Amino acid sequence: MELFVQSVISGVLLGGLYAAIGVGLSLVFGIMGLTNIAHGSFMILGSFFVMVFSRQLAGSIVLALAVTLAVMAAVGALTQGALINRVLDKGAEPALLVTFGIAIVVQNILQLIFGADFKSISSPFASVNVVSTKWVVISGEYLVNFLISAALIFILHFIIRKTWLGRSIRAASGNVTAAELMGVNTKRTYIYAMCLALVSGSVGGMLVGQTFGFYSYSGMSYLIIAFGVVVIGGMGSIVGTLIGGVILGVAQLLGAYFFGPGMQIFIGYLTLLVILTLKPRGLLSSMVRK
Amino acid sequence: MGQRFWNIKTLCIVAAVAVLAFLPRYGSDYAVNIGILVFLYMSLGQMWNLLGGFAGLASLGQQIFVGLGGYTLALVTQEYGMGIAASFGIAVGVSVVFAYVISFPIFKMSGVYFTIGSWIVSEAILVFFRNWKFVHYDAGYNITAAYKIPMGALYLGALAIGVGSIALVYAVLRSKMGLALMAMRDNESAAEVRGVRLYRTKLFCFLISSAYTAVTGVVLYLNIAYVKPGAAFSIDWTVCMVFIAVIGGLGTIEGPIIGAVIYVILRQYLYNFPGISMIILGSVAVAIILLAPKGIMGAIRGRFGVELFSVRRRVDERLE
Repeated sequence: MELFVQSVISGVLLGGLYAAIGVGLSLVFGIMGLTNIAHGSFMILGSFFVMVFSRQLAGSIVLALAVTLAVMAAVGALTQGALINRVLDKGAEPALLVTFGIAIVVQNILQLIFGADFKSISSPFASVNVVSTKWVVISGEYLVNFLISAALIFILHFIIRKTWLGRSIRAASGNVTAAELMGVNTKRTYIYAMCLALVSGSVGGMLVGQTFGFYSYSGMSYLIIAFGVVVIGGMGSIVGTLIGGVILGVAQLLGAYFFGPGMQIFIGYLTLLVILTLKPRGLLSSMVRK
Repeated sequence: MGQRFWNIKTLCIVAAVAVLAFLPRYGSDYAVNIGILVFLYMSLGQMWNLLGGFAGLASLGQQIFVGLGGYTLALVTQEYGMGIAASFGIAVGVSVVFAYVISFPIFKMSGVYFTIGSWIVSEAILVFFRNWKFVHYDAGYNITAAYKIPMGALYLGALAIGVGSIALVYAVLRSKMGLALMAMRDNESAAEVRGVRLYRTKLFCFLISSAYTAVTGVVLYLNIAYVKPGAAFSIDWTVCMVFIAVIGGLGTIEGPIIGAVIYVILRQYLYNFPGISMIILGSVAVAIILLAPKGIMGAIRGRFGVELFSVRRRVDERLE
């Protein structure tokens, strides 16, 4: 029983982290209908930047994250402006292949520079237990992950709902022609959206780097988690991502509780498929495209 | 129907296949090996093109069937001691049944949900095989039956698979179902109103493509001779398929032929640049799509109007 409660609580906290991984993907899909295969690799690129900068900047993880976010925003603007914007109106498959190509290039550049070794980012909360009773143990690291992810999603939700940028993003996702007639530069809006996606992805990358570690090819395995979280939440729904993350996290840990740790991932995927079979467009799909 | 069967194009194609069939007698081992890879990857590309280019089912899960083909070969020859020939039939059976079963959940999803749903299924299969005692967990199999096959025979098998994949796609597209597929591709709702049964047509394409991908997988693993879950069910297979189909030209039969030649030769050439080979391959993919979004065949058709395998139907010129 203790273990069951523990699994649920850890699952919820883990789910927050999964949401941070997926939210950028959801944003990009909701706005431009792009299935961004490169999201996972960009996330890992963010992890590497945080790792390198935190060594350079006297070990300050906050400063390292700030620099990383600025760099990643630039990377996002460059990728979107120079590459993806040029193929978006040519159909889904060319854009899919371009993001595939970017993913392959990014992960192999990382491999070239850092090798295939497993890396991690040190966390000040790694060995602190916030709550430690007979019933449950809540690790400081997982709690901080959850809080940062929840804050990230709240901020993104606020940007989308309340700011001018958010309004132009919603306009572009609703009807491109109408948005352009109303004076929204949709291509530029896509650039901002990709910057937001990579910034949120890098926060996810830092948390993943602290909690699980990473190497140059980790992007693909986190990408499938991101996709899973986003499709059960409903592509394009920011809040749905958090719900999707929590469902996947709880499903994985309960899968491990009932069927053993080997089945953790399998039960997670099975849950995703069952939910998608019952609700083929996700649980909440607020920003439905076309 | 008034077209002569033995026109110039048909003769050229038959002559090309005949010349290719004699490559093992005159070509070097290296050339033969490249030939094997080109034919097999072209077959994979054709099958993905049938799904993604014609049926509108952009799947990221076709590696399931490559893996099922490989594992069928391994189990049939290693565990049950049957001949290699038996594994082709069993691979078709297994993959059709499996594709039919997973079609129930994943055909409920459309568009990008289908794309991601199919990938999740394949990741689930990968994890399942890693935890499945019957297939030796993550250790996999050495396929010893494959050691004895002479390279010339493997080459002819690969050639047959490659030519067969073109013939299959051509036959499907020239059939009544091909018309339905093209109507669907152009306007799904209009096609449905006109009496095209969308679900059945898509399902049929999915089953054909999956079965043939599995057969190709059997021959691929005769060449590789070692199967383990991580490689057999790797997303990399589908990345190759998408690369070949999209670079060559989506929705054309010639596209995957061009795509496969470019992919295999480029990859072999890039072995000379260890470390940066994949970086170059990825950049080339991006560059080609930026320059020719419809793929190489799409660009050629747009400029010169050349078609080798026309699946369009024309009214007989004499009747016009």
